[in-house]
Amino acid sequence: MKTSKALVFDIKRFAVHDGHGLRTTVFLKGCPLRCRWCQNPEGLSPKRKPVYFQNSCIHCRRCEQFAQKNQMKYDNDRPYLNPQYQGDFDNLIRACPSGAIRYDSEEYDIETLLKKIQEDQVFFRDDGGVTFSGGEPLMHGEFLFEILKRCQEVGIHTAIETTLYASLDLIKKILPYLDLIYIDLKVFDEIKHQEYTGVSSKIIKEHIAYVLKSEHKHKVIIRTPLIPTMTATEENIIAICQFLVDIDPEVQYELLNYNPLASAKYDLVEFEYGVDKQYKMFNQQQMQHFYDIVKAAGLKNLIIE
Amino acid sequence: MDNLIQTERIQILEDKMLSAPRYASIEQARIITRVYQENEDLSVPKKRALSLKASLEQLEIGVEPEELIVGNRTKGVRYGVVFPESGCSWVNQEFETLPTRPQDKFLVRDEDIQEFRESIYPYWNGRSMEDVIKQKYGKEINAIAKVVKINQKDHAQGHICPDSALWLKLGPRGLMEEAQQKLKTCDDSQKEFYECAIIVLEGACHFMMRYYHYIMDMLDEVDDEYKESLKGVAMICQNLSQRPPETFHEAVQSLWFLFVILHMESNASSFSPGRMDQYMYPYYQKDVESGKISQQDALEILECLWLKFNQIVYLRNQNSAKYFAGFPIGFNIAIGGVDEQGHDTYNELSLLILRAQYHLGLPQPNLSVRLNKNSSHELMQEAIKVVARGSGMPQFFNDEAIINTMIEDLGIEEKDARNYAIVGCVELTTHGNNLGWSDAAMFNLNKALELTLNNGRCLLTNEQIGLDLGNMETYETFEDLEKAFQKQIDYFIEKMMKAEEVVEKAHQDCLPTAFLSTVIDDCLEKGLDVTKGGAKYNLSGIQMIQVANLADSLAAIKELIYDEKMISKHELLESLKADFQGHEITQTMLLNKAPKYGNDVQWVDDLGAKWAGYFRERMKDYTNYRGGPYHTGMYTVSAHVPMGENVGASPDGRNALQPLADGGMSPVYGRDMAGPTAVLKSVSRMKNSFTTNGGLLNMKFLPEFFKTETGMLKFENFLRAFVDLEVPHIQFNVVRREDLLDAKVHPEQHRSLTIRVAGYTAYFVELAGKLQDEIIERTAYEDI
Repeated sequence: MKTSKALVFDIKRFAVHDGHGLRTTVFLKGCPLRCRWCQNPEGLSPKRKPVYFQNSCIHCRRCEQFAQKNQMKYDNDRPYLNPQYQGDFDNLIRACPSGAIRYDSEEYDIETLLKKIQEDQVFFRDDGGVTFSGGEPLMHGEFLFEILKRCQEVGIHTAIETTLYASLDLIKKILPYLDLIYIDLKVFDEIKHQEYTGVSSKIIKEHIAYVLKSEHKHKVIIRTPLIPTMTATEENIIAICQFLVDIDPEVQYELLNYNPLASAKYDLVEFEYGVDKQYKMFNQQQMQHFYDIVKAAGLKNLIIE
Repeated sequence: MDNLIQTERIQILEDKMLSAPRYASIEQARIITRVYQENEDLSVPKKRALSLKASLEQLEIGVEPEELIVGNRTKGVRYGVVFPESGCSWVNQEFETLPTRPQDKFLVRDEDIQEFRESIYPYWNGRSMEDVIKQKYGKEINAIAKVVKINQKDHAQGHICPDSALWLKLGPRGLMEEAQQKLKTCDDSQKEFYECAIIVLEGACHFMMRYYHYIMDMLDEVDDEYKESLKGVAMICQNLSQRPPETFHEAVQSLWFLFVILHMESNASSFSPGRMDQYMYPYYQKDVESGKISQQDALEILECLWLKFNQIVYLRNQNSAKYFAGFPIGFNIAIGGVDEQGHDTYNELSLLILRAQYHLGLPQPNLSVRLNKNSSHELMQEAIKVVARGSGMPQFFNDEAIINTMIEDLGIEEKDARNYAIVGCVELTTHGNNLGWSDAAMFNLNKALELTLNNGRCLLTNEQIGLDLGNMETYETFEDLEKAFQKQIDYFIEKMMKAEEVVEKAHQDCLPTAFLSTVIDDCLEKGLDVTKGGAKYNLSGIQMIQVANLADSLAAIKELIYDEKMISKHELLESLKADFQGHEITQTMLLNKAPKYGNDVQWVDDLGAKWAGYFRERMKDYTNYRGGPYHTGMYTVSAHVPMGENVGASPDGRNALQPLADGGMSPVYGRDMAGPTAVLKSVSRMKNSFTTNGGLLNMKFLPEFFKTETGMLKFENFLRAFVDLEVPHIQFNVVRREDLLDAKVHPEQHRSLTIRVAGYTAYFVELAGKLQDEIIERTAYEDI
């Protein structure tokens, strides 16, 4: 397993929203879900791709001079990279003076990634650490298992942001190596879940139930992102809460306010943002309404920032 | 602490202060000139002592009825004092421009200009220290000015932390008795020193009594509400003229008198109170425990002192005002830190001091908190609350980075190192026994590199200023280039050191400071003036400007020209000469294709550290005029803007004339892309020995960071990591960009908005537009 590698599409140091303390969040590439509101659409595809950032481009056409046949075409004062091109794009990336052409991710092996995470270990103190996010980190089962183990060996607190859409064997295997587990439960209704996320909710619910009955239940925080008209409906929140109350009313639960900014990232991917542009973040009063629903449903540990 | 309030008295006094007009004053210049003229046959030290005494006896004084702490060196507040002995040629040239110049404006009175020109300037022309230096070495100093800025050429050095505890213990009378004792047994060479000390201390007692009489005379007119307290102040002034302080209120008043008189004697920046929470605590503790005063009373007294700290500003020439914009007067107070045994220490007074800053948020004092591995959660959280208020204070210093380095690199005794304080902005000093000469010169490493790349010629003017060792195209390898760079640095260091000797000698000859010497150990013991080396420690500090740009430039040259060969040597040189006009691709590559300092990329940071280290080592070859060592600092005050104006296009992709990195240790703005933790990691690669004279790291956070308790705790984690990484200094601007933009447009609505410039805080609306823009552009961490 020493040669195990994974594609990482971002490493964010000084992450302060993804768990306790100061953290480094590692974004692993690839996700089986296709949530219409995905906040990290650049992490959906499991492959490494070259991308072009128009804002950085100085339109010098240097890429054109260095391009291989069929690799790209220059049109409308910008390059169009050919996704079907078989070879790599190292030549264009080197040629581009501004960094407008780059890969959307980099491959890491365990030790390189560990070293990268350890760069900020002095900041982690007692409560901070590393958070694995994505994509769906569980798509990198063996790699994730290895890196979590290594992190714990060197004394780094570990967290994950996951949907648990993965095999139960894998989940069982990695649970002991996690200190904090954020699990997304987005849509309760099975048909709507399929419609909005592209996959069935069945195993997600089963796995949540499993984890919440396991010895690891105290590490868990269940989260629902509030997406206007899709997840942020009374029925949905009530249904999710009832489901959770039936398992364990003490479970920690958090509602994440809608963040419309992600739509800006969709220029770079072949996937469309599925939320109407008119929607904004929920205001305090609206948030309070949702909090009231959660409390009325009987959940005792609602996390409010 | 949260239940303590700011009283109405303080609000009244603050309003009065901020709305008072600011004038240039020639009052003291008139007195000094007269004393000099009447005593032509006396020595300079005697003339200086007599003119200080005369000033203490004659300068117009004033008192506000609400004041609990009184005293100033002019009747009006925030006046700029013309000081002829140090330099007035520049005043002669610039007097009329004071109300309209871009930075640090003062109103002037026509009759003052006339009197200055007719009866003050003619006497000093050719005699002032500024003129002496100019005549002796002006040409040489100008010839190196683009690389080395020699400071202290037209004003006294200041930048010193007096032994306030000694002053409080003995008072002027006690000090005078010591000097009288010494005088009886001293040898002839020391005689004059003690005589001068006695003269100025007599003046000090007289000065205090004048306030007693002034207040007693005005008392009938004062509203009943403030009559009682004001009468108390009068009694305090009378007591202090006769004996040392006994109460907290007396001690605070005594401390303020000390600083007023120091300013009257030197008219210099940065006399710093140092560890006030330590030496003031016994007075506080006694009065609070005996029930004489409450916490609230003590806070009100402190806040009155805080206002006083803002009433002395410093008149600089136009060029100097660019380098030190916004009146940094440097009343630096350091709280917390370890005690003489090395244990972390803080007390209720430390917390009250933070509370005073929380309430007032004014530019002075320059409040510093000393941190170490054992700093208490309570002190840190109280300090973070003040940071969140946005005045840029307190700044934080790191015992772990500073104390051992002082001992090992400067040979300072352990107890003195543990008792370190800060003067001015970020300059490190021992407490009460050190003339640090911390602002000796600034050395522009980037200009030295420019000359190395271009046959010793200035890229801006094509003038030959440095050694011709070749150019970018003739250096076969990166190592060849480095060798040439080293020679270029050596050449300018040698020239700088000669200039330093001339400047220091001029200070000894023209500006002996008897009063200051009575409160700096061991001057009284040795019978030797502080300018002559009377202090226990005698250092000189040179600032290295700016390692961030230098690291970026060298990294770009190494990677893109020598290693990867993406840009040819010829193309780099041509593009620099053309300021990148027509070479935009090259500039873009320089900016984007090579890693930059501040992103935790070790080899880049190490390149910067290598040259800072080289420079630091060279300092060991020299001894200053007082016989002490040279050392280095990494801070610029606001000099990164004018220093940048001296540098042509640079290999880091920076255009000609643009500012260099701000701060001193901070990355070039906008180039730190990996967040604040990566910045701290990069900065931590600068060895502590580079910054024994002081280092400066600026960071900007948005106020949102501090909104929740969780945010405050995360910030504490960040600061504790700062301690572990042994970064010597960090400070934060917590302010929203929109507020700054609005303040530019509507200055009248943001009169009290303060902003961290570089090691000090200034009123934002009083800064020149260029500097305002520069501050707005600095990277902000908005993520929390």
